[in-house]
Amino acid sequence: MISIPVEVLIRGNRIFSRLDDEPSSTGLVIVKDILPLALVPALFLYFGSMQFGWEIGSRTAILMAHEVVIAISVAYFVALFFGLLGLAVLLRWMAPTYDANLEFSRHLVLIAAVATPMVIGSIAHIYPHVFVNMLAIIPALIWSMYLLYRGVPTLLETTPQQGMLMASSLIGIVLVAAVTLLGITVALWTHGFGPSLGL
Amino acid sequence: MYNDRVVTVLVVLSLIWAIAGMGAGVFIAAELVWPTIDMGLEWLSYGRVRSLHTNGVIFGFGVSALMATAFYSVQRTSHVTLFAPRLAWFCCIAWNLAVLAGGISLLAGWTSGKEYAELEWPFDIGITIVWLSFAVVFFGTIARRKVKAIYVSNWFYGALIIVIAMLHVVNSMAMPISIDKSYSLFAGAQDAIVQWWYGHNAVGFLLTGGFLGMLYYFLPKQADRPIWSYRLSIVAFWAFTYSYIWAGPHHLHYNAIPDWVQSLGVVMSIILLAPSWATMVNGVMTIAGAWEKLKTDPALKFIVLALAFYGLATFEGPMLSIKSVNVVSHFTDWTVGHVHSGALGWNAMITFGTFYFLVPRLMGTELYSVRLANVHFWLALAGTMLYILSMWGAGVSQGLLWLTLDELGELSYGFRDIMASMAPYYALRLVAGAIFLAGAVLMFYNFIKTMENKATVVRRIPEVRTASGVAEATA
Repeated sequence: MISIPVEVLIRGNRIFSRLDDEPSSTGLVIVKDILPLALVPALFLYFGSMQFGWEIGSRTAILMAHEVVIAISVAYFVALFFGLLGLAVLLRWMAPTYDANLEFSRHLVLIAAVATPMVIGSIAHIYPHVFVNMLAIIPALIWSMYLLYRGVPTLLETTPQQGMLMASSLIGIVLVAAVTLLGITVALWTHGFGPSLGL
Repeated sequence: MYNDRVVTVLVVLSLIWAIAGMGAGVFIAAELVWPTIDMGLEWLSYGRVRSLHTNGVIFGFGVSALMATAFYSVQRTSHVTLFAPRLAWFCCIAWNLAVLAGGISLLAGWTSGKEYAELEWPFDIGITIVWLSFAVVFFGTIARRKVKAIYVSNWFYGALIIVIAMLHVVNSMAMPISIDKSYSLFAGAQDAIVQWWYGHNAVGFLLTGGFLGMLYYFLPKQADRPIWSYRLSIVAFWAFTYSYIWAGPHHLHYNAIPDWVQSLGVVMSIILLAPSWATMVNGVMTIAGAWEKLKTDPALKFIVLALAFYGLATFEGPMLSIKSVNVVSHFTDWTVGHVHSGALGWNAMITFGTFYFLVPRLMGTELYSVRLANVHFWLALAGTMLYILSMWGAGVSQGLLWLTLDELGELSYGFRDIMASMAPYYALRLVAGAIFLAGAVLMFYNFIKTMENKATVVRRIPEVRTASGVAEATA
């Protein structure tokens, strides 16, 4: 039994019908799939920040102390882990509205599969330049969206129409969550956390 | 028989403006990547073409679509033909001529210098006359209605007409010194407050309220079921109308206007989230259950997505108005990204969805190609997402860079350094805009082919039972 991230890579097209046939337990999916998916980007971030430092459109890279990098990487892991779990909970919450399967492990499996391309894209964290990271994340994002629209009807057993609406709802929620994170981050900066700004 | 010819002409003009206005947008996006493509001609300089882009898409594409859908829906919700149909034709032709001539004057360098109100005083007078004619046709039709209740879409279109008239007249008050130049009657900080009272409420009552009118008529029509909660739609209307008008000062944070005015702008912006999201919930719940329609109808897909981006834009707006976020985001491309998540994701998509519903009905035929419409859907989604992401990246980088100080307390980065580092993001935005424009061109082609197969359509007005004021079911 191979892990979902690996399977997305080697046979992405058939993964949803295979997973539909072989449901797994909630605990197993969390340990085997969600946990490594949250861990990998945090590790990439740690190595990139230690080796090269962040470049935000500027000439010189920002190098941080080892403890700071560790704190940021751990926070990133925690945020990703609970973020992925949270998305699965949201899907489960929406499921009755769209007549979808109510089994929580299926929602977790779907989130794991959809997150995989983004996690692979996070390899760009090793060279932490904002634009390089965006270039890597965008094709990954398109791949993830393809998996989401394809996966909802198959794995959650809805009609394609309901699946389309359910997937779009999740995209709406993710966009709002993304901009909220951006807003909170910026508000923290202006209140003295993170980079020192001339305010 | 309903007056639908004027609606058809307005739809076609709106489509032409969509291509022209978005084309101008793609051109200026390219100028930010390759600054020399203006070939040294001032007519093609960024400053001039940028106003052509905004005026073309907002007043050409947006307002023509709003006039078309207002004329279409007010007849059907009132069960009468248009009041003063010749005046409706005058609105259609004069409005589009005004935007066209105004666009040329912008390229020639005439400008009042007020964002989204750049047109000089002769155009301002012309716009006022056309807008009052629009009001006469719309409210005249409502006054003659045979159905007692005024349906919620008409409340939104009505608010659009009244508030835009008020904003336009007050903000455009100026002293002309020649045919092509005038100076605002307001001075200094007051001028800025009036300008952003106008600017923000143009977004509010035109780009939000007007298009909500479109949503409230065409969404239930397409889903073939009533609004999920009519009561919620009315409560949201009044909450929206009351709170929006105060939110303008958030455009002037950390400027020379009183601090309490800025804080008031923040508070009202945050309150605004409630009616905005109430409408989104109402829309989503109206679609929930219309599953069968979603399969056959490409139009409904655009509306689903429009609601998602409406949710994003109306959340992001209040968030950006908070002063500790705004200090980083203001004057960066984050704002540009925010505007486009509304303009591309909400305004353009809801209009595309409505047109995919409207054009085949007006022509009495089937849509030429559902497949092309589906391709358009994915292009529109990809273009919008790419646009928003590139501008988030650019905006946050800009905000960080120009607030960074060195050891001596001097600014670490000059404006030129920061702009130079923006080139990759701007290239990405150019790609995003081109993808979105390509989708619009496909739609235009699809409609031209649809119109070639047109049949004669006669839409009769349903009978109304006078006692209850409710329309009888008609075959």
